[in-house]
Amino acid sequence: MTKRKMFLRMITASLLRRRSRMLIALLSIAVGATILSGLVTIYIDVPRQMGAQFRSYGANMIILPGEEGSLTGAVLEEAMQVIPSENIVGATPYRYVRLDMPSRQQSFTTAGTDFDEVRKTSPYFSVEGEYPQNRREIMVGKEVAETIGVRLGSSIELSYKPLASFEGEASADWVPGAALLGSSEGFNEAVLNVSAVLDEEGKISEIEVDALSQTENIGSLVGTDKAFLDQFLGKSLPLTLGEDVDALSGATISSQAVVDALNSSRSRENARLSENKEHYTVAGILSTGGEEEAYIYMSLEDLTRLTQEEIMDVAELSVSASAEELEGYAANIQEEYPALTARLVKRLAKSEASVLSKLQALVFLVTAVVLALTLICVSTTMMAVVSERRREIGLRKALGASDGSIRHEFLGEGMFLGGLGGLLGGLLGFAFAQMVSVHVFGSSITFQPLLLPITIIVSMAISAVSCQLPIKKAVAIDPAIVLKGE
Amino acid sequence: MLWKMIRGVLYHQRGKMLLIAFTIALGASLATGMLNVMLDVGDKVNQELKTYGANITVKPKDSSLLSEIYEVGDGEELNASYLSEKDLPKLKTIFWAFNIVDFTPFLEAGVSLPSGHTVKAVGTWFNHHLSLPTGEDLDAGIASMRSWWDITEGSWLDESKEGAEDTVMAGTLLAGQEGWQVGDKIHLVGSREERDVTLTGIYDAGGDEDMGLFAPLDLIQALTDREDKVSSVEVSALTTPDNDLARRAARNPAALSSRDYETWYCTAYVSAICYQIQEAIPGSAASAVRQVADSEGAILEKTQLLMILITVLSLIGAALGISNLVTASVMERSKEIGLLKAIGARDLSITGVILVEILFTALIGSVAGYFVGFGFAQLIGLTVFDSAIEMKPGVIPIVAGLIFLVTMAGSLPAIRMVLRLRPAEVLHGGQ
Repeated sequence: MTKRKMFLRMITASLLRRRSRMLIALLSIAVGATILSGLVTIYIDVPRQMGAQFRSYGANMIILPGEEGSLTGAVLEEAMQVIPSENIVGATPYRYVRLDMPSRQQSFTTAGTDFDEVRKTSPYFSVEGEYPQNRREIMVGKEVAETIGVRLGSSIELSYKPLASFEGEASADWVPGAALLGSSEGFNEAVLNVSAVLDEEGKISEIEVDALSQTENIGSLVGTDKAFLDQFLGKSLPLTLGEDVDALSGATISSQAVVDALNSSRSRENARLSENKEHYTVAGILSTGGEEEAYIYMSLEDLTRLTQEEIMDVAELSVSASAEELEGYAANIQEEYPALTARLVKRLAKSEASVLSKLQALVFLVTAVVLALTLICVSTTMMAVVSERRREIGLRKALGASDGSIRHEFLGEGMFLGGLGGLLGGLLGFAFAQMVSVHVFGSSITFQPLLLPITIIVSMAISAVSCQLPIKKAVAIDPAIVLKGE
Repeated sequence: MLWKMIRGVLYHQRGKMLLIAFTIALGASLATGMLNVMLDVGDKVNQELKTYGANITVKPKDSSLLSEIYEVGDGEELNASYLSEKDLPKLKTIFWAFNIVDFTPFLEAGVSLPSGHTVKAVGTWFNHHLSLPTGEDLDAGIASMRSWWDITEGSWLDESKEGAEDTVMAGTLLAGQEGWQVGDKIHLVGSREERDVTLTGIYDAGGDEDMGLFAPLDLIQALTDREDKVSSVEVSALTTPDNDLARRAARNPAALSSRDYETWYCTAYVSAICYQIQEAIPGSAASAVRQVADSEGAILEKTQLLMILITVLSLIGAALGISNLVTASVMERSKEIGLLKAIGARDLSITGVILVEILFTALIGSVAGYFVGFGFAQLIGLTVFDSAIEMKPGVIPIVAGLIFLVTMAGSLPAIRMVLRLRPAEVLHGGQ
């Protein structure tokens, strides 16, 4: 029988004959290895998983059109390729316009958007009813709903008055006797229309202002306040606010808009004023506790059809990445697409970085403490199991075995147990991490292939080291004393 | 006799007993540390999440959409309704006063600058000192509620300094546009008064606020003749994540059964706190900022669940570790047990002696372990959250019960197994 065969036989025999003790040792190593592999897997994956949870705060990056250039779906899609697609939680386009509600003579800021993406970038939106799914369905903010008294299923009419578009110099049309039309953007970019008639001297003889789009009882007064409107009579174009006419107190912006509309007014034949009206059904009422409650939401397609313009004002992106990565993405987008401006939502990016780093530190420390304690626990058990075999060691020594061979054999046994326990624990640990991930985060965890060999090696090392101490002690003692049992 | 035997074991086999005590201490400290951290982690993370700002806004009840979108600089007297600044300390008298971490009032106004521009100026508290009727002292204000602001020049406005009522902070875009430096004197014109103020700091908020001014509340009130008036209040409160009950209550508290109502009222749900704020401040409407409140709830729940599962894993680990070692140590003493049996000891008394020995060792180990574990919890608390972990008395019986069960579970089967062996065989050395 060769030496190696004998060695193997001794180890297997010892393992088989001393089943219960070896089982204890194996169990203890396996528990240690489970904790090692489970916690480390969780620790590695926690930033990703927790980061995804933080996305419930909503968009952390916005993309705006730059100084020149506009934002369209195609450009946005292209720009988003800078960010790895698996990191993008959602990207929601928004376009804001003021729409009038002819029946109430009020106007509201309306956002055109993509509701599938809204669900991803603004998971905190709490919608009574449902998100609009079909054409001509809208979602109204709670404040809007309360102000105009609509309920789920109500139908409301919304109209869009675009800015009149002109060609050539406006002043060419300001001839005596002309009937003029003009429009301009007033408060909150809401369009206001003005019509005027010039007398034979080219001075204003009649003026009518449609200011229903302006804030009720403030801006809208420019259309009804007689003293304000009378100032215009007898004046010739162009006008300057503050010199030729005075602003209506409390409505500077709307007053300026009236003057601007007059200064750009064209004759009735040359002006194109149009109004687009559609009926919409209220599918949902939105409450957020924030300014979103004062908006009306509709799909971007509906808004495009209504306004005949296919653009967006801003895109909200929810990206799961660290603050530095986010800054990198924003800079890259800026660089590659000079027509766009990418900005971080500082409040979210900064707060997330600080809270997430704390959570990571928490899991790290917990992992470290648990691991250290567990591994010490494993080695004390191993020590107890081995020191129990002092008599056997004594016997072998008495029979003439060398210290080296005894140590060698015990080491082999310990490492075998360590390897087996490590393998078992490594797999169990992954199962545990998987369970945690599914229960806590509702997603599966990435298997760390490197972790399995590491777990096995660490378990082998721990059991080898913890065997060494008691063996060394046993070997050092005179066999006679050990055998006597003292 | 029993004592003598135990003393003998503890003395003669102190090496082995020390090993057991050490392992039990490790297990106990692991359990103590993890349980303490787990029970406190909710509060700690909640505290951290306050960096996201307020989760409740309070506005006058009849403030409507229309008064909110007035034209800057114009018409602010129209349609406006206000809360009273004097009522604000009442926030700290509600049932959940202790959970209200910070709050700050706001009052907006359009003011004219020397350059002719009109900008939005916001009056607020920075670090306003309040002496509450309860005898508590408190510094409230936006300094801690806008943690994401970078002060690019100068410093936060300090209300405790003399002359602070004539200082302002400006957003970086506004300061850039007007060419202001920290220390500059600015002439502000409001609807009633004009004031010369000093610029103490320039902030970068990364949003619309960068185009505005922030000034002490008193200054804006004086400029626009609105003494004691505030238009909204932001409140930062520690809350419990919403559940089904909270969602039902948020819709209509009156529809709850009296028992549900009581549960809801006495839990720190964001809707319950809002409700209590409305009770405390006359004419107010408090609403949850869903973006902050909901996300907080989600993150808190996840973190707690994660910690619970990690704690369970480490408890199982500690339990198996201890019971393993105890089993091993009992089996090791098979010779001694055989001897006792051979000289006529009854099984029951042998079991008793061994159990008492082990439990005595376990007691020493777990007491030491409890304190070490508490130390670990503090280490984690201080390193991660910069604040101590609260000592939860409930942890002591849990740890004690766990150690007792685990020690019994580890030793009893082993003792029974050894007792089943015949003394002659054991003493002979064969098994």
